[in-house]
Amino acid sequence: MSRKILIAVLCAGCVFPLAYLVLLSVAGDWAFPHILPPKLLVRRWVEIFQGPAALGKSVLLSTGMALAVALLSTACGFAISRVIARHRRRGLLVLLAHVPFAMSPVILGTCLLYLFIRLELAGTVPGVILAQFLFACSYSIILFLGFWNGHTFALEQLVYTLGGNRRQMVLRMLLPVARPLLLTGFFQTFLFSWFDYGMTLVIGAGKLPTLTLKIFEYVASADFYLAGACATLLILPPLAVLLINRRLLLAGRI
Amino acid sequence: MLPRAALLTLFFLVVVAPVGWALGYAVAYSVGWAGLLSRGFTLEHWHRVLTDGEVLPSMAHSLALAAVCVVLTVILALCITLPLRASVTRGALSDALLFPLALPPTVAALFVLQMFSGAGLLSRVAFHLGLIREPRDFPHLIFDPAGIGILTTHLLLAVPFFCLLFAQIHRNEKLDELTSLAKTLGAGRAACLRRVVLPILLRRSRANLSLFFIGVLGSFEIPSLLGAQSPRMISVLTRQKFALFDLSEKSQAYIIAVLYSLLALSLIALTFRKKEAPHVA
Repeated sequence: MSRKILIAVLCAGCVFPLAYLVLLSVAGDWAFPHILPPKLLVRRWVEIFQGPAALGKSVLLSTGMALAVALLSTACGFAISRVIARHRRRGLLVLLAHVPFAMSPVILGTCLLYLFIRLELAGTVPGVILAQFLFACSYSIILFLGFWNGHTFALEQLVYTLGGNRRQMVLRMLLPVARPLLLTGFFQTFLFSWFDYGMTLVIGAGKLPTLTLKIFEYVASADFYLAGACATLLILPPLAVLLINRRLLLAGRI
Repeated sequence: MLPRAALLTLFFLVVVAPVGWALGYAVAYSVGWAGLLSRGFTLEHWHRVLTDGEVLPSMAHSLALAAVCVVLTVILALCITLPLRASVTRGALSDALLFPLALPPTVAALFVLQMFSGAGLLSRVAFHLGLIREPRDFPHLIFDPAGIGILTTHLLLAVPFFCLLFAQIHRNEKLDELTSLAKTLGAGRAACLRRVVLPILLRRSRANLSLFFIGVLGSFEIPSLLGAQSPRMISVLTRQKFALFDLSEKSQAYIIAVLYSLLALSLIALTFRKKEAPHVA
């Protein structure tokens, strides 16, 4: 019995933050000492996209940047990981691929800012995409390295033995076999950019109003209801994927 | 696909070169070889950083917080995973543990802020229980020098992840069978845990734990929202020093960046020197 209670408490504890933030986004006059909001303002969600807050632009910006980072880093990571997996200095290259993970985005961004300013990329969308790509690409490489095992190489050889050319090998064997992992890589790198704050703040020079930057802006102005709405918007993509396919959220992390 | 040489060049250009350039520039700036105020080689900035009483305490605070965070995460995750292993791998709990993984650090920090602030939810519950009379009576759990708010947020994000990780390692390494074998050979329950289960779980999750330690050490969003003014976490201090109008402070920001990078890179090199990779399903 106590075991079931413990499991119920843990389940509630895991789901509570999401439920609370959704409630915060529609709460009205939720001041101390009310434990529950006295009224719910569902119309706030209409105002969020139509009113002065105009979060629609932030959603579009965050989505566009995340899609670009995910697309670029998945494609490049997949191709580069194949080369690294077969390289005679594989150990060293894998170690180098881990290096960006050692860096805090804010600290690395601070050190890279001068270079981005000289390249006229600071404060621009392409600049932030490039900065995020640095991390996302190294993540993709590490994720895809496991794919290039003996079995995959044997399949490649089989296609050639059966008369297939390089193009057919890639389009009809490699990409279909790698599809689940490519989807995972795409989703994880999308989330990396979607969740990013440090690089967007430093390289974006605060000029790009992504959802994560908006949360800070609303917290700084003590507008917790709009911060809650931003937080809900940020959580939606991973939650949707969680409900569709939990593996996409977990694979590569565990 | 592109030729091998082109792909390797791309790898060095987009992954290795920027980090190398960033570190090189930070070192050059810190010794007076770069920057608007550069006057040639000098160790004056390093001397200032090592004696000003702000950077080293900040570094020590960040290291201590990261270490405590890792230790508490391991303890809590083990306390949940070992007795509830079957529930962690399937059923409602296994699904529920995924929910915190969908939280970005910024959102998790906002949630903890809403829970732990003077007018937060816990304070309101305390008010209704008659424990406090007004928000200022509630203890300071955020913006506190001990970093309780920061620690709680990292635990909220990391404990579910490590529960799932430990459960998966437990299954993959067949720890139930190994424990049975140890018991057959005369080991007690405590000995099984101490000499079989814990060493394997911790060794197999070493890479993930190292990356988590580095992640907490360099975290920015969470201490920005919940951290105290003093001592500040490394990333926050770096950013603040860099953003100041006083240009001489920028060299200090670069010195902190160099110190942090050396520390993190050493840890990465130590962790992955045997080509060890984070545990992947």
